[in-house]
Amino acid sequence: MKTILKTIRENIFTPWGLWLSFLGVILLSALIGGILVFWKGLVITNLTNLVPWGLWITIDLSSIAVAAGAFSMCAVVYLFGLKRYEPIARTATFVGFTGYSMAMMALLLDIGRPDRFWKSFVFWNTHSLLWEVTMCVGLYFTVLLLEVMPILASFDWLRKKFPAIAHKMEHLHHYAPVLAIAGLALSSLHQSSLGAVYGVIKARPIWYRPEMSVMFMFTAILGGIALTLFASMLAARLTSKAKINDALIERVAQVLGYMMMAYLYWRFWDWLAQTYTYEPGRTEGFELLTKGPLSFNFWVGEMLVGALLPTIILLKRSWRQTPLWRMLAFAMIVGGVVAFRFDTNIVGFLAVISYLPGEALVQYTSYTPSLVEAVTGAGIVAFGLLAFSVGVKYLRVVDHRITSEEHEVVTLTAGDIVKAGD
Amino acid sequence: MTENKFNRRDFIKLSAVGVAVAASTRLIQEAEASGGAKGEHQWAMVIDQSKCTGCNQCSLVCHANNDINPNMDWNQVVTAGEINGKTVYLPRPCMQCENAPCVEVCPVGASYYRDDGIVMMDYDKCIGCRYCMVACPYDARVFNWEAFTGDNPAVPEWGEPDVERRPRGVPEKCSFCYNRIDRGMSQGLKPGVDAAATPACVVACPTGARIFGDLNDPNSNVSQMLKNHPTYRLRESLGTKPRVYYIPATEENMLEG
Repeated sequence: MKTILKTIRENIFTPWGLWLSFLGVILLSALIGGILVFWKGLVITNLTNLVPWGLWITIDLSSIAVAAGAFSMCAVVYLFGLKRYEPIARTATFVGFTGYSMAMMALLLDIGRPDRFWKSFVFWNTHSLLWEVTMCVGLYFTVLLLEVMPILASFDWLRKKFPAIAHKMEHLHHYAPVLAIAGLALSSLHQSSLGAVYGVIKARPIWYRPEMSVMFMFTAILGGIALTLFASMLAARLTSKAKINDALIERVAQVLGYMMMAYLYWRFWDWLAQTYTYEPGRTEGFELLTKGPLSFNFWVGEMLVGALLPTIILLKRSWRQTPLWRMLAFAMIVGGVVAFRFDTNIVGFLAVISYLPGEALVQYTSYTPSLVEAVTGAGIVAFGLLAFSVGVKYLRVVDHRITSEEHEVVTLTAGDIVKAGD
Repeated sequence: MTENKFNRRDFIKLSAVGVAVAASTRLIQEAEASGGAKGEHQWAMVIDQSKCTGCNQCSLVCHANNDINPNMDWNQVVTAGEINGKTVYLPRPCMQCENAPCVEVCPVGASYYRDDGIVMMDYDKCIGCRYCMVACPYDARVFNWEAFTGDNPAVPEWGEPDVERRPRGVPEKCSFCYNRIDRGMSQGLKPGVDAAATPACVVACPTGARIFGDLNDPNSNVSQMLKNHPTYRLRESLGTKPRVYYIPATEENMLEG
């Protein structure tokens, strides 16, 4: 006990100690908030019958979206055989695992009967998109768990104390290509379906469009890769534990820039198509985005900072080659994806078509998260930051020097794939 | 070199098989999707807006019979304009849609169709995700944000509870008083004709604005009403096919009333 106290006293005022204390305070308040939610029920949120999904669902959607780097990078490395990006896939896998853990926490808070979450795996309505999302997320989380095992195996303590277990965990890396296939299939399904969850709702015309699924999938890939690279670069700036290969990141950054251009093109037509003719509910909802209470989020968060600026930065060579600008561009993309998720969810609830007969009347509602929603939400984010920080410090999550030489069989595997690809 | 045989071609094959399996399950499911219009009886309600005075007694008996929290409504009576200075009301129970969005979206199948067309809630299966509330075009579902404890102010003046109170954390909705229909029919009574086998709101309405019966029976009062009066359904363009029909209030029929 004394030694623990001594260790704490000696380390609390180091940057690492202060960072942990900061996260600890948020996590502790969130824990209290979480207990309150389970004890008192959802009545202490600001959710209503008209706005039944709020901040937690936004966090859930966003963490799943920005976790998409895992399947994208694993596909790039293990399926398309671009082996040199393997260290980035390692970071992405860990970020993905963290993201899905965050999403599950948010969902557990959000559902009315958290004690019955298991029923969603037992009782199937295969017609429901949310069923498909539940199944895919459950299975994909298992895939991520297997993918993250070799990373957890690099924990020094585990290696020393239980070398046999560590070796077994590391051995899972042999199955990386198989896991990458499973990950790609499951992610393509549920990332798109998450958009379709909104896209199929006829009652709310602002959502009711087929490209919702495509938009969700595409923005998830953008946000996922951007978050992985941003986190890597930031970590490398803050600690010597993180080692990055700047040239490697820059190459991905350029591809990301072109992908952002494709996104802008899609978004432009998505936007224009919605302004073309008056459609009850859709037009009003769209006005909330462009002129109403969501206009800052939309124009600045989604469009200017979230899409246009990072595209320019990533495509202009001199700016892309400046690490700070590139890093900021990645952060902007992540912010843009989160803003897109937030706006998409909330806009469908803020303008509701009345069921009264005659000309479609549109009612307006409002929603601001309650304190307990905000505190628990911050806790979920803090958990993500903590997991990543610990990963960087103890698990070499960001270490671009790690190459396949450590796993000899993988060299063969990857070589095989390159050959098959050629 | 043969350690791992997965190559691109295998991946494409595997994906193709996966997609085919997923698509075929989905297609089979689609074929079965449409809602429960297969039973011997098809219960429906006709609401005559020219007769509704907005007295709200339907809601009160609903609260008592179904033991509903006073801040929640399964049946809402809202105003819908006026004719010749008289307010027109629109009572809105659950529409018991034939293509119910709530049933379509529920991930666990807690919302389901009975063969007689009633859209049911299995409150034990429900996990409280609220997707059904998001999908319902009629705001017919209300969520138990907190547990309903204590007395029900509508009891005993407006009736006695006939069903169990719902727990915290699930959405609830009008069930066409399926319990009254089932019990009544087991006693040989006819829903829509005998009060004990008919939804409580229909029985309670002092002006007879609500009519209940079997669409499959051409002589039932709902079938007759639909034959002899122009009716409409709410948000018909969505294709949900509600089983609640409205006779609109017009200048002529408002004068009669």
